[in-house]
Amino acid sequence: MTLFALALILLALFTFVAGQIFLKHAMESTGQQNFEKSGVAVRLSVGVFLMTISFFITLGLLQRFDLSKLYPFQGLSVVIISFIAATVLKETLTLRLMIGAILITSGVVLVSMS
Amino acid sequence: MRDRPSGFGNPWLQLALSVVCVLASELLLKRGATQVADPNSAWSWIGINGLESPLVWWAILLIVLSFASWLYVLKYIPLTIAFPLSRVVDVLVPICCWIFLGEIISVRRWCGVALVIIGLALVAKPVARLEEKL
Repeated sequence: MTLFALALILLALFTFVAGQIFLKHAMESTGQQNFEKSGVAVRLSVGVFLMTISFFITLGLLQRFDLSKLYPFQGLSVVIISFIAATVLKETLTLRLMIGAILITSGVVLVSMS
Repeated sequence: MRDRPSGFGNPWLQLALSVVCVLASELLLKRGATQVADPNSAWSWIGINGLESPLVWWAILLIVLSFASWLYVLKYIPLTIAFPLSRVVDVLVPICCWIFLGEIISVRRWCGVALVIIGLALVAKPVARLEEKL
């Protein structure tokens, strides 16, 4: 795996995580009273745009590498998203949720590497 | 968490629906991408030639469906809970391969599946308790 491929993998991961955060932020604000429709539309579009980039990069990577090489990186998204949702979106992250997320990530890495 | 609708609008049901669509789409994507793989073309780095495969289009349809229910889920469930739970798909894929395709799963892989299940249980348990109260 070249450095270029690794950079693409990380870019796919980063755009995926950022996309999820934007989507959650958009959908959450629909619950508030008098929410701004334009703001929701912008956040949704940014989220969809980021996830589209992630999708096509992943599709390109799948043509070259086995899923078992690519999937461990997707597993990392659980820990990263939980952490960013807690810091950026101010969601409560209990110790229990953190341990759960870490176990899921390590499980995914184990499943996909063997 | 705001008031949750029941029936088909139940966010937990929608989460399950989203997971099933992702599960099917992952399998279709891998097959579709392999079918049309052309590593010599520079374009294939961004995967756009994957669109030549009909399987990829079916996968895209499923992804759109899963996306719609996922957006709905996000309205009601915090990301710190919904996202880890959505990764149940990572144990469903190997288990489906084992049951339906007769693939052999190594001991190490079973250990990984077990780890994910324990992690899911940890994340899901407080939710189950919360739901009982409602």
